[in-house]
Parts: sequence; structure tokens; C-alpha cells
Amino acid sequence: MAGVVVKVRFPARRTLQTVAANVFRYLVQGAARSWARNLGGTAPALGSMTLLLLISGVVGVTGFALYNLEQVEAAQASMLHVYLRDNASADDILALRNRLEADPRVAKVGYTTKDEALRRAKSIPGLPELADSTDSNPFPASLDVQAKSIDDVAAIDASVRYDLAVDPVYPTSYDRGAYQRIQSVLFGLGVAGLAFIGLLGFVAVSVTMNSIKAAIHARRDEVRIMQLVGAPRWMVRGPFLIEGAITGAIAGLVAGAVTFGLTAAAITGGSGGFNQLAPGVTFAVAAFAALLVVVAGLLLGSGSSLISIRRHMES
Amino acid sequence: MRPIVNPRPIVRFHGVTRAYGSRLAIDDVDLTLQSGEMALLVGPSGAGKTTLLKLINREIRPTSGEVWVDGMAAHELSASHVAELRRKVGVVFQDYKLLPRLTALENVAFGLQVSDLRVSDEEARERSRDALEAVGIGDRGDSFPHQLSGGQQQRVAVARAVVAQPPLLIADEPTGNLDQETAWELMDLFEDIAAWGTAVLVATHNVDIVTRLQRRVLTLVHGRLVRDQPAGQTGRMAWLASS
Repeated sequence: MAGVVVKVRFPARRTLQTVAANVFRYLVQGAARSWARNLGGTAPALGSMTLLLLISGVVGVTGFALYNLEQVEAAQASMLHVYLRDNASADDILALRNRLEADPRVAKVGYTTKDEALRRAKSIPGLPELADSTDSNPFPASLDVQAKSIDDVAAIDASVRYDLAVDPVYPTSYDRGAYQRIQSVLFGLGVAGLAFIGLLGFVAVSVTMNSIKAAIHARRDEVRIMQLVGAPRWMVRGPFLIEGAITGAIAGLVAGAVTFGLTAAAITGGSGGFNQLAPGVTFAVAAFAALLVVVAGLLLGSGSSLISIRRHMES
Repeated sequence: MRPIVNPRPIVRFHGVTRAYGSRLAIDDVDLTLQSGEMALLVGPSGAGKTTLLKLINREIRPTSGEVWVDGMAAHELSASHVAELRRKVGVVFQDYKLLPRLTALENVAFGLQVSDLRVSDEEARERSRDALEAVGIGDRGDSFPHQLSGGQQQRVAVARAVVAQPPLLIADEPTGNLDQETAWELMDLFEDIAAWGTAVLVATHNVDIVTRLQRRVLTLVHGRLVRDQPAGQTGRMAWLASS
């Protein structure tokens, strides 16, 4: 029966296995082989994408730390420390506290003794040296006034700074415009960071698109044959999409690992001081940032490929 | 392959025009090609032969008119359905278009499997071997394209085009790179394929083949189908005067 093809009806499961094997071979293996073969052309895309993702990861973690810092600053800005004279009488202090607690603009009033102030100061970077430089305790006791609104802090400050119980030299912690200055700096940093990432992103996407264009060109005969024999569109385009995803995934893995490594090193090396400078940045945050970087790499790689395929495949 | 039982129209053109800017590459062409029929498409360079083949394979759309391929409206087919149409059309080119890294057998199997993912390796190998056998190079399946002569490479291309048993085979100047003897062998092969029920349309410049083969001849000049000569009535080639 030479020359006669006998068609056998395969069970559905076997057909499924055959389809899966063919898809794996022509899509995944084909893409991986082509990626390895075109490594020279892909290297610039891989490099620029790794750099972009690494910078994005580091900027992301830094941004997260800055955001937390801003929250801390905002909370601190609405907290007014009213420093008390060392020799203020208990009656004067009580009278001031009662007056503040009766003020409708005040949420709550706490009291910090000189000893507590010293303990607190020792946990702030730079201040332990100051505390140790003198035999006496230089930090004053204070009434810690939590304002309901940050806008009321100035008025509360004005109402207490000439009170008998208050230190005349350094009456309160109020610093006009400090919070606004911090906000402006953070906003500027955010805009600059985003602009930088945007620029790098543009470069990475352009370079990746070019590398996929080169891959399409290198495999143009194969693509042409696949198109002419009636291979489905996804079958023709799929390998290039996967090639881009491989580039993005590798770049993401490298950048993610470095992001995690740098953050972990900073957490470990910075000990207590790191928590003051970058509140909320933990190992879990570092791992999550690394994961985001890997996912971003995958999306960036396959997205760039998709654009390139759409632009160059039909031609 | 199957013997012809009831011939049916495989290709139908109704008033087909294809323009590139103001130039008409195909001008108001009507034609029908039946299953099992072999026709030669002739005409001078730039007459529109390749454009006509591209319209059949939906590489381009007509500017106006209708192109039907085995019941499918190629003229209004969306891009996502083009693959479906192309599985009905085997294509052979002058430059063979074989993948150099694959053997002859793998080239044929590749075409089969990427167009139908349900074909297993075993089935693909068997059907590809049969196809190579049918085109007369069953013993060269393990050879790479560079180890084959031009005629053998073209046979591999033909095997790839017919392995999925499409109802239509189109060939664009398939003998262009072959010597006369090999060209004749290839045309014999096309006749065999047509005898088994596949409609075959061959665009050629080779006057010798046209006059000696005595098959249906479609003559295109400046995009117009100026003559449709039935098989056995091939006379003087009108287009020779203008080529």
C-alpha cells in the first residue's frame, strides 16, 4: 500500500499530547534555539533592559522608603513638641497641659520627661554622640501636642511659646515650611526618577524591538514558509514573542536578584540607622520588589516583541 | 491523492481588478479552474502572472471583483482566516524556498506539522516519506538541500506543497532555475498531480513547455486575460510578440 495514507482516528488525549508536543517544539524550543543563535544581536537589548530594570528596582525601593518617610514626616509635622523650662513648676506645666487639652484644635497631649527625651534621642542617628558629650541631660521635658490638622500647628505654636512653663530660648519644635520643603524635594525626586526611568524604558524598548526585528529578518525564510503553508498566525508570531519574553525574563531575573541583594545588604549593613532613613523597607519588601522587577521584565520583553512583530512581520 | 470523481471549481475569478496606484496589474479578469485541471499561465514580464497567483493565495486582495478558492471568498477573507485558505493551496517557487538546516524529509514534515499541529512526528515522517516517494526522490530524504541538485530541490518543494493534499497547487516560474530536461521532468510531475485530482496552475515563461505540453493556456498581457486556450489547442503564443 505504498503511497496511500491511512488516517487513523486518535483518541482525544493522544491528539492533545501531539498538539502540545508540536506547540512546545515549534514555539518554545524554536524560540529558545533562535534566541541562543542570535545572542550577539540580543545582547544590547538584554544589557539595556537589565540596566533599566535594575534602576527601576532600586528607584522603586527608594521611592517606597521616601513615601514612608514622607508619611512619618507628615505625622511628625502635625506633632508639636512644646519644650519645658528645666525649672518650670508642676502647677505651670499642669495649667499649660489643661489649656492645651481644652483647645478644640488639639487631638491629644502627651508628656515626655527629660529621661524619656534622652532615651528617644539616643535612637536617632547622630544624637547619641551629643548626649554622651556632656555629663548632664541636655534634652528638655516636653508636652507633645498632636494637632488635628497640620494647618493649625502654627496657631497652637503661637498660643504656647510665651507661656511661663515653656523654654524661652527654644520654645517648640515648630519649623515654618519644613514639611512643605520636604514635600517639594520628594516631588522633585519622584518626577526626576520617573523621567529617568521613562527615558531608559524608551531606550530598552527600542533596542529590544530592533533585536526582534533582526530575529525576524534572520528567520524570514522560515516565517515565509510557515505563512505559505497555512500555519496559524499565533504559530508564526509566537516564537518571536517568546524570544522577547526570554530576553525580558533573563534581564528581570538578573536585575531582580541584584535589587534584592542591594536592599538586603543595606538592611543588614545599615542596622538601626537604616530604619530611620528608609522606614518600612524590610526583606519582604525587597523580595516583593525583586518579584515585581522580574514580572516587569517579562512584560517589557514580550510587549516590545509584540510591537516589533506587528510592525515588521507583515512586511 | 485521490482520483477525480466529479470535477468542481477550485478557483473562480469574477471581474477581478488589482491596481497599484494608477497602474492596473490585473484588469477585469474572469476565469475558472476545475479540480484535476492543469493550466499554464503565460505572458510577458510584468503581465500580472505573479499578482494573479498572489490573489489566489491571499497575499494581496483584489481592488475589485471576487476571488473564490475551493469555496472560500479570498477577496473578503480577514487576516485571521488566511491560514485556513492557505492550507487549501500548495505553493511552489522558482527558488524552492527550502530551509537549509533541515533535511529534505524534515522540510516536508515541517510544512505539514506547522500547518496542522495534530500531526504527530510519526505520521509526519510517514506522510513526508510518501510524498518524497511520489515526487521521485524517496531515497534522498536524509539529504540537506545543499546536497541536492536544483531539480531535486524543486521536487522537495513540490512534495512539501502537496503533502497535505491541498485541492490546488500553484507554481510561480518553477522551471526558471532548471535545465530543460529537469524542467520537463517537473512538468510531468505536475501532470501526475493534476491526474490525481489537484487543480494545478503554473506561471511560466518557458515557451517550449507551453507549446509541447498542450495544456490549457491562460495568456495575460498588461493585466488582461487576452486568451484562454483549451487543452490541445495551443497555437502561436500571442504574448511572444509583446515580450
